[in-house]
Amino acid sequence: MTAVTKPTTTILPESRASRQERIKTQLATLGLTGYGILAYLFLYLPIIILVIFSFNDSRSTAQWAGFSTAWYVEMMQDNQIIISLWNSLFVAIVSTAISTVLGTLAAMAMERYRFRGRLVMDAILYLPIIIPDIAMAIMLLLFFNISGIGFNTWRIELAGLRLSVPYSVIIGHVAFNISFVAVVVRARLAHMDRTLEEAASDLYANAWHTFWRVTLPMLMPGIIGGALLAFTLSLDDFVITFFTAGPGFNTLPVRVFGMIKKGVTPKINAVSSLMLAGSLALVLISIFLRRGDDRGGIEIV
Amino acid sequence: MERFDVELRKVTKRFGEVTAVRDVTLQIRSGEFFSLLGPSGCGKTTTLRMIAGFEIPTSGQILIGGQVQGHLPPHKRPVNTVFQHYALFPHMTVYQNVAFGLEMQKVDKAEIAARVGQALELVHLTGMENRKPKQLSGGQQQRVALARALVNRPKVLLLDEPLGALDLKLRKNMQIELKNLQAEVGITFIYVTHDQEEALTMSDRIAVMNRGRVLQVGSPEVIYEQPENRFVADFIGETNFVTGVLQRAGLPVEIEVAGQLVQAGWLAEGVRTGETAVLSIRPEKIHLLPGSANGEAHQFGTAVSGQVERTIYLGTDTRYLIRLDAETRLVVRMQNTQVGHSHFAIGDTVWACWNPAHARVLSAEE
Repeated sequence: MTAVTKPTTTILPESRASRQERIKTQLATLGLTGYGILAYLFLYLPIIILVIFSFNDSRSTAQWAGFSTAWYVEMMQDNQIIISLWNSLFVAIVSTAISTVLGTLAAMAMERYRFRGRLVMDAILYLPIIIPDIAMAIMLLLFFNISGIGFNTWRIELAGLRLSVPYSVIIGHVAFNISFVAVVVRARLAHMDRTLEEAASDLYANAWHTFWRVTLPMLMPGIIGGALLAFTLSLDDFVITFFTAGPGFNTLPVRVFGMIKKGVTPKINAVSSLMLAGSLALVLISIFLRRGDDRGGIEIV
Repeated sequence: MERFDVELRKVTKRFGEVTAVRDVTLQIRSGEFFSLLGPSGCGKTTTLRMIAGFEIPTSGQILIGGQVQGHLPPHKRPVNTVFQHYALFPHMTVYQNVAFGLEMQKVDKAEIAARVGQALELVHLTGMENRKPKQLSGGQQQRVALARALVNRPKVLLLDEPLGALDLKLRKNMQIELKNLQAEVGITFIYVTHDQEEALTMSDRIAVMNRGRVLQVGSPEVIYEQPENRFVADFIGETNFVTGVLQRAGLPVEIEVAGQLVQAGWLAEGVRTGETAVLSIRPEKIHLLPGSANGEAHQFGTAVSGQVERTIYLGTDTRYLIRLDAETRLVVRMQNTQVGHSHFAIGDTVWACWNPAHARVLSAEE
C-alpha cells in the first residue's frame, strides 16, 4: 500500500549563523554606500560651493549674503575677460583643427605601416603626454626664441573685437594636442576590422575612395572624441599658454590667474562657473555622439 | 581548348620564413563550383586571397579570364569576394552596401537602383534596403554579402568559408541555396571550406590542400572513392588504414595484413613489393559474413577473418569493430535493413569481405 504524503510547508526559524551573515551583509552595504557618497562629496563639494558663491550678493566668497547675478553682469561687462574668452576659443578652435588632422594622420601611419624607426617614432609621439607641462613650456619658449617665430601675432576681428593671437600659443597647443588626438584615434583604428578596407578594394574602390568612404567614416567617432579632448585641453591649458604667450596676451585661464593676484572675488567664481558649464557641455556632446554611434551600429573603442 | 576562368601556375607564397602556399597549379573551369578544402592553416585562404589580389604570389602566375594578374590590386580584378565574417560596411545601409561596387565603377544611378533591386531579390532580401547590417540576423548578413558581390556580375566569385559563422541548420539550408544560386547566375564559384561534407555536397570539383600543397583535385566522387594518399583518404569521410607489406604490385594488388593476404584495386605510385604500405578501405564498403560462410565470403573477391570486438548501434546502421590480430582492427559499417535483425554479437568469428575495387593501397608516408 502506498501512503500519499503532502510536502511539508512549515517555515523554520532562521539559524543564528544565517542571521549573523545577513546582518554582516547589510552593514557592508551601508558602509560601502556611505563611502561612495563621501568620495563624491570630496570631488564635487568644492565645485558646488564655487558655483553657489558665484551668485553671492557680496564681495565675500565665504559668507552668503543673498542671491544675485551681479557678478555675471560684471563679468560680461569686463572687456578684458571677454577678450580673453574669445582668445581662448580662437586658440582652441584653430589648434584643435590642426592637431586633429595631424594626429589622425600620425595614428594611421603608426598603426598601418611598418617602417624603419617606427617604434622610436611611436614612443616619441606620446612624449608630450608624459613630460611635465612646465618642461614642455620652457622648451617651446626656447624654440620660439631661437627659431625667430617669437611672439608674432595673428590679427583678426572676431565678434566685433580685435584679437591678436601669438602664433606661438597656437603652435604650442598643437604640439601637445597631436599626441592626445593620436592616442584616441589609434585606439579606434586598432579595433577596426581591416577586412572592411579589403572589402572596399574588392568592390573596385581605389585607395582614395576606400579612405573617404570606409576608413574615415569608421574612424569618425575616434576623431571626434580626439578633437573634443584636444578642444578641452586647449581651453584648459595654463602653463604652456602662460610661457608662450608673450606680453599682453591672455586666454581665460591666464586672465583668471592675473585676477587672483589682486584678490579673489565672486567674479572669478562666475568666470570659473562659465568654464565649468562649457566643459560640461562638451562632455554632454561627446556622450550624445557616442550614443548615436551605438545606434548606428559602430562599436565604441 | 578548354576555357579556364582561373589558372594558377606554380604559385608559391612565403610570409617571411613560413611558406603558406607551395607550388600550386590549378585550372578552374568556366561556370564551375570549385572548392578548396583543407584543415586550417593549409593555405586555402591564402590561395583565395592571391586570386582576389590581397596577396601577391612570391613566385608563379595567376590568370583570370586568360589575363595574367601580376601585381594588379584587388579593385582592378574582375572577381568579387564574400568574406568569412561578411565585412559589411556597418555605417551603410543594406542598399548602400550592395550599391557600393557599382558606384565605384561609375554605373549610373538608375541602373544601380535596378541592379541592386535585382540582387536583393535574388537573395530574398527585398524590403530590407534601409536596414543597417547590425539590425540583420547572421543569415541575412550573409545574403547581403552575397548580393554585394554578385551585383557586380564578376567573372568569378570567391567565397571564404562564408557559412562558417552560421548555425548548423541554417548552414545546411544555405548550402543548398548557394548551389541553386550558382546554377542560376552561372558564375564560377571558388569556395574555401574546411568542412568536407560541405565541399562534397556543393562542389563540382574539389582541391584538397594540406601544408600549402594541393594533394588531389577531382569530383567529390573521385575524391571520396579514389583518394590517392593517406591525407585525402583520412580527411574526407572515414576510412580504415591497415598497415601491411605489399606482395604484388600488378592488378589485383595484393597486400599482407595481420598475416592474411588481401586484394586491392589500386596502388599508389612509388610503393614497391616487399615494402610497408597502407591498405585503405571505407567502413561501408566492407561486408560481414559469419565465420562458417567460407565459400560465400571469397565470392566477394577478398576476405579476412576476425572476431567482433565491439558493436555500436547507430539507428540507420551498426558499426562493428573487428579484431584481426593483436594490433589490427577494422571498422565496419552495415546498414540495418531488417527489423530486429541483430547481425553479429561480440566474440563472433566473422569474415570481413570486400570487392577489391573498393580497396586502395597507399604509401605509408603521408
